[in-house]
Amino acid sequence: MSEQESLALITQMINRAKEAYYSTGLDAIMWGTVIAICSLVRLSEIHFGYRLPFDIYLLTVVAVIPQIFIVIKEKKEKKVKTYDDAFIGYLWLGFGISIFLLILIINNVFNEWGAWTDKYKDIGGESSPHSFYEFVAPLFLMLYGMPTFVTGAACKFKPMLFGGIFCWVCSIAAIYTSIKVDLILTALAAIIAWLIPGILIKIEYGKIKKEQAQLNV
Amino acid sequence: MFNDLDPILHSQLRLAVMSLLISVKEAEFTFLKEKTNATAGNLSVQIQKLKDAGYIDVTKQFKDNYPQTICKVTSAGINAFEEYVKNLQTYLRK
Repeated sequence: MSEQESLALITQMINRAKEAYYSTGLDAIMWGTVIAICSLVRLSEIHFGYRLPFDIYLLTVVAVIPQIFIVIKEKKEKKVKTYDDAFIGYLWLGFGISIFLLILIINNVFNEWGAWTDKYKDIGGESSPHSFYEFVAPLFLMLYGMPTFVTGAACKFKPMLFGGIFCWVCSIAAIYTSIKVDLILTALAAIIAWLIPGILIKIEYGKIKKEQAQLNV
Repeated sequence: MFNDLDPILHSQLRLAVMSLLISVKEAEFTFLKEKTNATAGNLSVQIQKLKDAGYIDVTKQFKDNYPQTICKVTSAGINAFEEYVKNLQTYLRK
């Protein structure tokens, strides 16, 4: 083996190892669907003036159970552990914790805000023209964008990279739009940032599985 | 002045295995087989040689009742690989 051949082999193998990071895409599909459903159901509640007997956003808590199964399944199937795996895992764990904290903060601010709007109603005789929830969507969309953008950049996966940017664009737009439009933007962001990239990852995963099956025949 | 290339690494399959392992945290035997297109027998022999040289750690365990071999590059392996690449560059510059 000549020196040039050695160098070419090293380059080729390092490039092949770079293709090692793969996911089933199931988690992205699930979270994209869940967030889109929650936003659209809340939109229909506001638009048609009805209320479900439970908070639709509880669906996000229920979705944690299949998420655990997806993580276990992917861990079992993986033949290789890359340095990206740990990084991306911690990134999304940090995102989950941040979302939990944001909900906690928002609920506390909402309770404080509620007292002020009640006072406004007592003095002015009519409800406050501003709903607190008008200001919530931009915060969530800002947070949705961060891990999506970083994952897309780290894995060189453009649909997720653009999905992250789309979340931030929606976040800016949601500052100036009504709550109904905010919910449509949130549903759109979930579909573009997670659902569509998730479907693309799943298609790619299916192809890899098929190739592996053919190799093992 | 040219240093001799490490004979353990200057072999096609062993160098391929080391190049793969240097890029990841750890990899299963099946992953290495798939990426190098080597036969299981040949790959086993070369992995054993790398292990004997102290360049990789090999862990054998059971996963879902099937034997599983996990390979991971050691710090001695990283040093040897870096030295090999450095020497290779010296040869290519001449």
